[in-house]
Amino acid sequence: MRGLRLYRVLVVLITASAVLLPLGIVLYQSVLDAPFFQPSAKLSTSAFSFVFSDPDFHRAFATTALVAVGMTLIAVPLGSILAFLLIRTDLPGRRVLEPVVLIPIFLSPVVLAFGYVVAAGPVGFFTLWFKEAFGLAPWNVYSLASLIVIAGLTHIPYVFLYTSSALRALGADLEEAARVAGAGAARVAFSVSLPMVRPAILYSAVLVFFLGFELFGLPLILGDPGGLLVLSTYLYKLTNRLGVPSYQLMAVVAVAIIAIAFPLVYLQRRLIGASARFVTVGGKGLSPRPLRLSGWRWPALALVLVWLAATVLLPLSGVFLRAFVSSWGEGIRLAQVITLENFRELFDYPNLVRGILNTLGIATFGGALAVAWYALIGLANHRWQSGWSRVLDYLVMVPRGMPGLVAGLAFLWVFLFVRPLSPLRSTLFSVWLAYSVVWLAYGMRLISSALLQVSPDLEEAGLTVGASRGQVLRQVTIPLIRFGLIGSWLLVFMIFVREYSTGVYLLGPGTEVVGSLIVSLWATGAIDIVAALAVVNVLLVAAGMGFALRLGVRLHG
Amino acid sequence: MTKRLLCGLWLGLTWMLVGPARAADKPAATPPPILSAAEKEGKVVVYSTTDSAAAAPLLKDFGALHPKITVEYNDMNSTELYNRFVSETAAGGGSGDLLWSSAMDLQIKLANDGYAQEYKSAEAGSLPDWASWKNEAFGTTFEPITFVYNKRLLKPEEVPQSHAELVKLLKGNPERFKGKVTCYDPERSGIGFMLLAQDAGTDPNFADTIKTYGKVAVKLYTSTGAMLEKILSGEHLIGFNMIGSYAIGKQRKDPNLGVVYPKDYTLVMSRIAVLPKAAKHPNAGKVFLDYLLSARGQEIIANKAALFSIRGDVQGEYTASALNKALGSSLKPIPVSASLLVYLDQSKRLAFLKQWQEALGTR
Repeated sequence: MRGLRLYRVLVVLITASAVLLPLGIVLYQSVLDAPFFQPSAKLSTSAFSFVFSDPDFHRAFATTALVAVGMTLIAVPLGSILAFLLIRTDLPGRRVLEPVVLIPIFLSPVVLAFGYVVAAGPVGFFTLWFKEAFGLAPWNVYSLASLIVIAGLTHIPYVFLYTSSALRALGADLEEAARVAGAGAARVAFSVSLPMVRPAILYSAVLVFFLGFELFGLPLILGDPGGLLVLSTYLYKLTNRLGVPSYQLMAVVAVAIIAIAFPLVYLQRRLIGASARFVTVGGKGLSPRPLRLSGWRWPALALVLVWLAATVLLPLSGVFLRAFVSSWGEGIRLAQVITLENFRELFDYPNLVRGILNTLGIATFGGALAVAWYALIGLANHRWQSGWSRVLDYLVMVPRGMPGLVAGLAFLWVFLFVRPLSPLRSTLFSVWLAYSVVWLAYGMRLISSALLQVSPDLEEAGLTVGASRGQVLRQVTIPLIRFGLIGSWLLVFMIFVREYSTGVYLLGPGTEVVGSLIVSLWATGAIDIVAALAVVNVLLVAAGMGFALRLGVRLHG
Repeated sequence: MTKRLLCGLWLGLTWMLVGPARAADKPAATPPPILSAAEKEGKVVVYSTTDSAAAAPLLKDFGALHPKITVEYNDMNSTELYNRFVSETAAGGGSGDLLWSSAMDLQIKLANDGYAQEYKSAEAGSLPDWASWKNEAFGTTFEPITFVYNKRLLKPEEVPQSHAELVKLLKGNPERFKGKVTCYDPERSGIGFMLLAQDAGTDPNFADTIKTYGKVAVKLYTSTGAMLEKILSGEHLIGFNMIGSYAIGKQRKDPNLGVVYPKDYTLVMSRIAVLPKAAKHPNAGKVFLDYLLSARGQEIIANKAALFSIRGDVQGEYTASALNKALGSSLKPIPVSASLLVYLDQSKRLAFLKQWQEALGTR
């Protein structure tokens, strides 16, 4: 018993220091008038008054709120319907579709947005083709509406992820009852299944809303020409506004975004608390039979495919096309510009191979380590009635609030100014820690959805035969969630392959990773190489996914 | 007659003996004690905004010349470079031994804030006067700031040859050019700001010029790559204040890109090298700086990296001497001097940005 408590407190302390060190630096920086490491820095609220009186900040804040609301309204209904279709019905090809619908999560938003420009921008190949066929192309990828729609569509997988695991855990008896009473599939979905998983849906709604606040890659590329400003691109603007990077101003914006996270975490906790009322799975559930969609099978499939075409096929075709041509756009005959030159140039690029190996290494081993850490936190928090558990919930969510640009700097500072850590800065460990902390909220959710499926009955059975809580954890809970853990590993692998902004400041010889290379090449204008590299990145993700599926890993709990 | 012939023969012979061996084969003039100390250090850490691919020929040649000194080359954008350097220096754990950045103002600021080490490089004597500051900051390249346009979509006779012609072209066809003109966003890009501020000091009709940009709703970007890409695709037609070296690099791959050196004035920017005081390998840093400034290094900068050499004694297409011959007094190099600090003053900078936004009608 004491051992267990010690372990739990230890986990809280380690997690707290990993999260609070960078966060603390950012908070401290926000109330200074100069970089915190300069002796001349004094306490001051000048940064807050500068930012809060800047009309750009208000404009960016309003736009961001609009984007967050809009994308939530798009992603949540569509994502939950998608989950219902794939998990509970006899939709054709649902086994194949299940991993495929997650793809948008694993594409770097910068790559995705650039793909949209090449495919559906004003002179994109799809736009030109459409114009030729129909005389006009009535959309503008650079508008606010497009940003909202694209952000909404690409965040559907997050909703799917959470809703589907809840649906899976749902006993089939209630649906069965509704069906026997004569309800059709749609009626079952909207009156029985989806209301039953309301906490999961709302939980994902809160998450998507929050992700709207830290959106960076999409608005960076799509908002560029139109001057569309959201909080994270406003932050980017602040680094140059005054000529010299003004950390205090950047810190203030980060603090503002983190401040939004707090009420949202509170909301999420309330929702999770409420979910106890929705427990429907006992020791043995009725294995669910899929609902028959009958006449709706093919229209439903068509709907899913249209969404996939818009969020995966369209942008990826743009990126792939760009990688294999020397130029594109108005007045270009694609057949004449096809080339492999971009790839030849890419493989001549110094340190590329090391970058790819590092990426694979950090995704495979780093991913496994991260999942192990997340699992330790999850197990510590598992059935723990304590105030500490509440602290943990906030701790894991808050890092997500730090925009990548700030998180990257904050981790650089941690490794520079926390002496015991500084020898580790130029190793991959620094990149790993930054990634693991930034993705804590996402990873924890994967672990806890696995843990939620373990019925308390089984653990209580262990307790009644005289095992201690620690023994139950080791001998009952962990074996039960091992498939969930492997699935989480795979998801974290793919997230780590695509991650980019966090590692930028830790990048150096020996710690190159593909995501950060993409960002640094983008800035210098080597878009040929960026497109080729993006293709390599997508192939890495696809390989990881294919490999895991062959091994029979189930993607979620 | 024979005398002249002999004279010519003699000249020819000397040229054959001396000419090909010219400046380029002479190694950099680093004093031997520094060189041997550098070899003992064995390593030089370079922080640079020049991407690895462009710098590769330089690094290879340096390696051949100084096999005992390994170069640890870190490429990053100019803001990252500045952030990393000041943070690392404050932490005292060592940082770059040489900073090589295109953000001229930030480099001068580092020197002005006392971060730079003074070094009387023997090679600096071959630089133009405006290209070094207090033996602390050294210009290494001579990169023209150009117009860039899409050759497929802009007829040769339409192509503006000066800032005045560009304004005339835009004023004459405001509808056609609406949303089709592009440049750096001075608010989000440090280099974009610097170039615009130079325009303000050089273009006599600056106020009218930027108003015209506003009328055609100029599109603002943070990276050259995005702008070149969109000009080539036809989404935009023409861009100004584009860094010539990048444009020419792209043009070599895609001949549809047109590059114009404006005849009324062509700004010239220079990548500035600074040796930090806190360098861990100070001597190796000096050797690398001498190499960058040497005729041999400059030859590679000009002919392999297409970054335009700054030394007058280097020949080739991408050199200061070729540009001087072609453009003469319309070249306006941005001096490596404290004048770059003017707009790092917060209120002056914000006032300038306000003027820009008002002209554009975005505020």
